[in-house]
Amino acid sequence: MTHQPNNPRYGFLIDASYCIDCRSCMVACSVENNVPMDSTRIWIKETGITGTYPDLKRFTAPFHCMHCKDPSCVSACTVSALTRNDDGIVSYNQDICIGCRYCVYACPFGVPNYQWDEPLPLVIKCDMCFARLGEGQQPACAATCPTGAIQFGRYEDMLAEAHRKINERPDKYVQHIYGEEENGGTATLYISPVPFEELGFPIAGTTSPAYSNRLVTEGTPMVAGAMLVGLTGVYLTIKHLREEAECDRVEAAKEKAAQSAGEEQ
Amino acid sequence: MTMLRKIRHELNTMPKFVYITAALTVFGLSIALYRMFVGLGATTNLSKEFPWGIWISFDLATVALSGGAFTLAALVYVFQFEDLHPATRPTVLAGLLGYSSVMVILLFDLGRWDRFYNVFLHPNVSSALLEVSWCITAYTLILVYELSPVLLQNSRLKCLLPIIKKYTVPIVIAGVTLSTMHQSSLGTMFIIMSPRLHPLWSSMLLPVFFLISSFASGISLVVAGSSVSHWLFGRSLKIKTMAKLSWFIPWILAFYLVIKFGELVIAGEWDLLFSSGNYSLLFWAEIIFGVLIPIGMFAFRQVRFSRTASLIGALFIMGGTVLNRFDVTWFSIASVNGEVYTPHWMEIAILVGVAAGVVTVYSLIARYFPVYEETEPHQLPVEVRPFENSHAAGD
Repeated sequence: MTHQPNNPRYGFLIDASYCIDCRSCMVACSVENNVPMDSTRIWIKETGITGTYPDLKRFTAPFHCMHCKDPSCVSACTVSALTRNDDGIVSYNQDICIGCRYCVYACPFGVPNYQWDEPLPLVIKCDMCFARLGEGQQPACAATCPTGAIQFGRYEDMLAEAHRKINERPDKYVQHIYGEEENGGTATLYISPVPFEELGFPIAGTTSPAYSNRLVTEGTPMVAGAMLVGLTGVYLTIKHLREEAECDRVEAAKEKAAQSAGEEQ
Repeated sequence: MTMLRKIRHELNTMPKFVYITAALTVFGLSIALYRMFVGLGATTNLSKEFPWGIWISFDLATVALSGGAFTLAALVYVFQFEDLHPATRPTVLAGLLGYSSVMVILLFDLGRWDRFYNVFLHPNVSSALLEVSWCITAYTLILVYELSPVLLQNSRLKCLLPIIKKYTVPIVIAGVTLSTMHQSSLGTMFIIMSPRLHPLWSSMLLPVFFLISSFASGISLVVAGSSVSHWLFGRSLKIKTMAKLSWFIPWILAFYLVIKFGELVIAGEWDLLFSSGNYSLLFWAEIIFGVLIPIGMFAFRQVRFSRTASLIGALFIMGGTVLNRFDVTWFSIASVNGEVYTPHWMEIAILVGVAAGVVTVYSLIARYFPVYEETEPHQLPVEVRPFENSHAAGD
């Protein structure tokens, strides 16, 4: 229960002010993971067009799995198809998944998607291009991004870089690193010139609901054990009391019979 | 030839509604087969925003109502209220069919129904859904055990009955424990979804709420079922026994009310009771119809001793519990992008099919097996007891 999640080894730093909505990250993701464009593991969040002419503005940001330190999806998954490895990568084992879609509901960021049109569907979710990392390459989206909106590296470096950027340009950036505290901390970090709600990012708490979930589920076997003992105790006690009462009744009847017999004599 | 005539006779004397429910079952199951081979996209309105729909709401409501089986088993075998014993057979049968329908629906709901067995091969112990699926599977087997005397009594295997009876108490205790676990785990499932749930329903106490409301709706099922079987089969519990059972209802519901409102006050969310628009309405509907009115009704001796009034009160409680499960699983879930979920007609057709299947199987078992044997017959004219008559004719 005292599950203290380690910091992830790798992290993303995504800067919404650099994103130009070219969607090459989505194309790269589609090619790398061999999935059609409408089921990529990365997509674009946007503010829509704001302001009045001629001062029009529109901000966008690529969005994919946050790779939480204490992921709700991993805690929710009925089987062990979703796991977080020692490097902090939350990955999906498609050979185990039974398709209950609990992860889709449990994720506070709305990340996992599902192959709704497949007869035997699977979950769609970023795995930080696990295979590319093994070859010493960056994830496809980060390697492709032409403006450097998606940076990838060691988690500590990314966090330090995020702090440096927003401290240097307080006029440009909102003073908040999305992902530093959200859902107990995530490997994907965002900085943005507009408030994150306006980009359509979910407002997540600073603790992961996975923790509350574990508090209850991991206590369950103990409750079950206590119940078994308790119910057996109740059964035996009531049975014993009944038998005793029955004995008393029989004895009282016997005594009465003996008494009346004595009186007759 | 005699065999054929026998079958024809059985079919002719079968109550007509069984044909209708059987047809609905066949229709629903063929749609379910279609769903399994074309996927969820074409046959449901489920989406990334609402990956669970009316099937899950139905499952949770059914499990809550089937709570009658474990509540009654605990009262009869553990707490040894022997005069409630005659109600166990019909209730256990209803419970078993309820749980079986949940398992069938879950299989249709699973994206990868072809490898449901991974629940046992690759368990994730921190998942509330794992607990639910294990407990429901184990408990369904226990219900089969509890019902087996009914099925074996008139068969060649009746030599097994003494052995079955010998282990009934430990099996019942295991069953009650498993039920307590999964009734509450169904609530636990929504703790991890707290970011999505409306705060009026989201709570760390959800497992406790679910457990307690399953006691109340479980007892209501026994009370309602007893009243209905009084009319349908002419056999039922003694009204005195029923009144003894419904005496518990106001106490259970009052406790539910106290912790439900206590939790809202402690969490500082009581102002939401009036300020959340339709959510407030839903919440009050649950509380007023499912809790306050039944408390008021069952507090009166006259209600507890009247079959009609008890049935109405029990229906209120069951309705309130069903609404609560639909609220938690569906109505109170906030959509991130404003999308609304309304079920596809095929989702509903499959549900209707499974529910009709339950009614069909219940009627058939009640016709051919001694489900109501231990209950009290009533002074009714013989012709209103078609089941016993046709049974005798069939022999």
